[in-house]
Amino acid sequence: MVERAEGSRPARRILDRISLAVEPGAIVAITGPSGAGKTTLLHAVAGLLQPNAGAVSWGDLDLTALSQTTRDRWRRDTVGLVFQDFQLLPELDVIENILLPIRFDHWRTPRDLVGRAAMLASRVGLDQRALRAGALSRGEQQRLAIARALMRGPQLLLADEPTASLDADNSARVIDLLIECTRESQASVLLVSHDAQLLGRASQVYRLTAGRLEVDSAGRA
Amino acid sequence: MNPWPVIVADLRALRWVAWVTPLLIAIAVAVGIAVSTQETALRRSSAKAADDFDLLIGAPASNTQLVLTTIYLQPAAIPLVDGGILNALAGDDRVKAAAPIAFGDSVRGYPVIGTTAAFAGRWGELAPSEGRLFSREGEAVVGKGVRLAIGEVFTPSHGSPARHSAANAQREDEASHRHEGVRYTVVGRLPRLGSPWDGAILVPIESVWETHGLGNGHSRDDAALGPPFDAPKVPGVPAIVVKPRAVADAYALRAQYRQGGTVAFFPAEMLVDLYKTLGDVRDVLVIATALNDVLIFTATAMLLLALAGLRRRRYAVLRALGASPTYILLAVWLGAALLLAVGCLLGLALGGIAAWLAGRLVEERTGLAVAVDIGGSEVLGVLGLIAVASLLALLPAIGTFRTPVDQSLR
Repeated sequence: MVERAEGSRPARRILDRISLAVEPGAIVAITGPSGAGKTTLLHAVAGLLQPNAGAVSWGDLDLTALSQTTRDRWRRDTVGLVFQDFQLLPELDVIENILLPIRFDHWRTPRDLVGRAAMLASRVGLDQRALRAGALSRGEQQRLAIARALMRGPQLLLADEPTASLDADNSARVIDLLIECTRESQASVLLVSHDAQLLGRASQVYRLTAGRLEVDSAGRA
Repeated sequence: MNPWPVIVADLRALRWVAWVTPLLIAIAVAVGIAVSTQETALRRSSAKAADDFDLLIGAPASNTQLVLTTIYLQPAAIPLVDGGILNALAGDDRVKAAAPIAFGDSVRGYPVIGTTAAFAGRWGELAPSEGRLFSREGEAVVGKGVRLAIGEVFTPSHGSPARHSAANAQREDEASHRHEGVRYTVVGRLPRLGSPWDGAILVPIESVWETHGLGNGHSRDDAALGPPFDAPKVPGVPAIVVKPRAVADAYALRAQYRQGGTVAFFPAEMLVDLYKTLGDVRDVLVIATALNDVLIFTATAMLLLALAGLRRRRYAVLRALGASPTYILLAVWLGAALLLAVGCLLGLALGGIAAWLAGRLVEERTGLAVAVDIGGSEVLGVLGLIAVASLLALLPAIGTFRTPVDQSLR
């Protein structure tokens, strides 16, 4: 359960009695109306917020019982995040953006990781590596964000509306990329989307309404 | 961890603000350094210029004006003191040496000063760097900065040099007041003194008196130069510089010549009073520049704080991607501290340059060599400012450190 207080108003229950399991290698999609709590659910899974009640577990590890530092470390080592509006550093070039999560704990980036960043850039179709992220198209920026999320080889990829701001062509390309890359790395994917094309590729689709999670009528759960 | 990419990204995002911020800080710091070093250098140079003038005797007038005219060669009409005092001083056991200082003529913008050969050579402490000191009437020895060659002959003009007037106007003015028939030959050049006397032409006092129709101060035309001046009536002079034998003699002479229609004072003492006044002004300037620094630093810290607030989401994303709170703190703090520190260091350099330029200007206008020295105190001051700036830079860093990630991502 997650409750959120806004200003002096009484706390509002955002997520209520949710039970969700993501199997290894599964692509689980969450859909639902705005304000239903989809992003809050992703944040709770990522360990970015502590639920008021209940637990979030990764295998046998109870994330809610961890200290913030340990949870941060778990997220850094386990989770890849893709945001709706990319959230790149537009002032840095393609490779620097992909390498960013590595800089959090390395002063000098090991050569093999630089090689991996270049490989990921190629994998997502970004050959102009010296170009600053701000100069890329929206489709390229989202592909770059995916490459960054994959840099540390995450076991869980969390994506919040990854195709929401893209046109149909770019959307299809990003969906293919997400599915291919995570299949290659055997990562589980939990994504939030309204994109029918993307929902159609998910192995399970849930609908979140007013803090309650249900199997989507069109889903395959 | 390596926060450098985030710092670079943040600085690039600032665009021109990343240049203007350190520049504003640099200007604020430079003003403080320039004022402080220039004042110190000016004080030191002016004191050094007065070193050879232990005791000045003149006719009752403004002591400050007498110092300005005699030591710093700032032209002014001052009353004359009875030349007979020269003989009294020459025979006084308390006096090691005494010399007249007379001015009123000029050549090509350089003042012509009548004195004794002994004083021209600073009573044995100064030897010409070229040629020799004058030994007869019609000879001249020039300061290091005077553009007259050894052997060159010139005719003086009546009147003080008008500094900074146009060269043509000065030439015309000198031509109309020329002492026709009077000629001097340059026989020597003095080494650099770092004082306005570097731009002076020194001639025998006897020649100056004669040029102005006052005789030569001696009973015979062919008398040797210098004291005693045994003419029935020794012409007056604007000032007499005295070198007493001992400190007690100096005070006794000052007391004696403060009476009987003369003034006597120690230029150093007058300079101390002057510095005291200047010191008060300096204190006001230092406080003003310190306030200036505080305002600029506070404004910059507020700007950085606002920027960090605007970038709250960016830092939350980095946290979500796995950056530790320490990483974000370091990136924000180093970025802000870098801007402030670059501003301080740039200010040190700009302050040095500004003080040097001001020194050149003072030297050009007064002949006083102002040796600006950026020393340990200035460097320490700037390091102190950097330390304060680093603390200020913590404000935006702590602001980002305390914001919950989940909240900032929304």
